[in-house]
Amino acid sequence: MEQAMLWGVGTSAYGRFPDQRVESLAWTAVAEAVRDADIRPDAIDAIIVGSVFGPPGVATRIQRGLGISSVPMWTIENACASGTSAYHEAVEAVRLGRFKCVLVLGVDQMSTLFSGAIVPEATDPEGASSLPLPGLYALQAQRYVSEFGVTPEQLAAIAVKNKSNGMDNPRAQLRDTVPTIQEVLDSRMIADPLTFLQCCPTSDGAGAAIVGGDRGNPDDLRIEASAMVSGALWDQRSEDVWGFASVARAAQKAYAQAGRSPQEIDVLEVHDAFTIGEILTLEALGIAPRGKGAELAPSGHTTRDGVQPVNPSGGLLSRGHPLGATGMAQLAEIAWQLRGQAGARQVDRHRVGLVETMGGGAAGMDGNACVVTILSAQA
Amino acid sequence: MSELGVGRPTKRRAGAAVGGLPVADSRPVLDGDAVLGSRCTVCRYPTTQQGLPWCPVCYEATEPDRFARTGKVWSSTVVAIPVGTRRPPFGLAYLDLDDGPRVLVHLAEPAVLEPGARLEITGTDDGDLVATRMEQ
Ligand SMILES: [Zn+2]
Repeated sequence: MEQAMLWGVGTSAYGRFPDQRVESLAWTAVAEAVRDADIRPDAIDAIIVGSVFGPPGVATRIQRGLGISSVPMWTIENACASGTSAYHEAVEAVRLGRFKCVLVLGVDQMSTLFSGAIVPEATDPEGASSLPLPGLYALQAQRYVSEFGVTPEQLAAIAVKNKSNGMDNPRAQLRDTVPTIQEVLDSRMIADPLTFLQCCPTSDGAGAAIVGGDRGNPDDLRIEASAMVSGALWDQRSEDVWGFASVARAAQKAYAQAGRSPQEIDVLEVHDAFTIGEILTLEALGIAPRGKGAELAPSGHTTRDGVQPVNPSGGLLSRGHPLGATGMAQLAEIAWQLRGQAGARQVDRHRVGLVETMGGGAAGMDGNACVVTILSAQA
Repeated sequence: MSELGVGRPTKRRAGAAVGGLPVADSRPVLDGDAVLGSRCTVCRYPTTQQGLPWCPVCYEATEPDRFARTGKVWSSTVVAIPVGTRRPPFGLAYLDLDDGPRVLVHLAEPAVLEPGARLEITGTDDGDLVATRMEQ
């Protein structure tokens, strides 16, 4: 198998850009990634796009501005994990020698489709019963709180940590002020116990990456692992809260591929669409034992100057959540961190990084898909 | 800013509840004293999913079944934002039916209930199952 490497990354800004075209958001990210990888566009021999709400033919509409013709190209939809699912396919293709240089793109423009909360999927039993995504996470949180006695303050500490980090991320959507724990708890209730400041904003944006083989460039990042799993039944037999098991399955595969333990990861970007999401994810990733994930942020373990910084970018809670682009934004942040290019957000120990993206919402499944990838800087 | 997207069709299937076109209803059905669904003829796995090709656990045949209206709360929440035609606050719970599947129900009284609390599905509201707390 070929060694897959991350050659370059790029993103748009994240925010509400209803007056921009989907293509413009994508081109901004692609241009930066191509420059970052130091390649000519005609070196790209495949294009994989992750998008949830992109218009039909979104990949081709983007492609026509790039001058990259006739190469294999396709679009993947895996809910919030669409971008990293596209990335995972690129990694697998390079490993198998199918392509030498793949452009991965994640893009979504939510502001032109929704005002306020995302309308749940009407064809799904849960969606038809008016269960919004924050409601699903709230059900997770209520169960978790009753099992492990997590306090509202511990939940809110995730929002404070990530929004503090986001202040130093010029591409983040929310970076006006850092709320206090009390302000997080006092913000208006969305779905008990999740308040407004514990929910990520819906956003527009794009992220891109160039994945290729080992070309002997010391700046390229080694892709030690990339694992993707689809959902499994989540029903009356499930003792874990919704979504937990899918993250754990992907994580086990990724650690096995990389030959690493959770303790060896220096810096992480994980799916914190809601505060409870970061807590559960860190347990599923083995960063904390079961029931102890809520202690990580208040103890400082996951702050930017902590032992294992989590979401130094500000996470989805600051950056925003343009579904298909989110995984690629996470990947870009880890790339910048591993190369020491994260500026004011830079963490101290940054040799090994991990990205986790979890997409869900289909009733009765523990997720639509989860991707976990582990990368390292070359020594 | 112009009214981008307003009044134009999008990829999103919103459904009749928010002004879109009607879609097939996939919600569990309450039929008098029972919730309708199916059960595996071999491993006895119960589900409210309709039209399954086989049992999703053991791949054997399923047959229609009726499940008790009573069960225990797995988790519950109160939603404080409008969703579709639903106006806040409204309570939702995952309810593990006594002899059957886990179903999402609306709570007759919006309140967070402790896991294990006993509920009874007492009716439907516009197709949603509605459950009420049982007296201990
Ligand atoms: Zn069966």
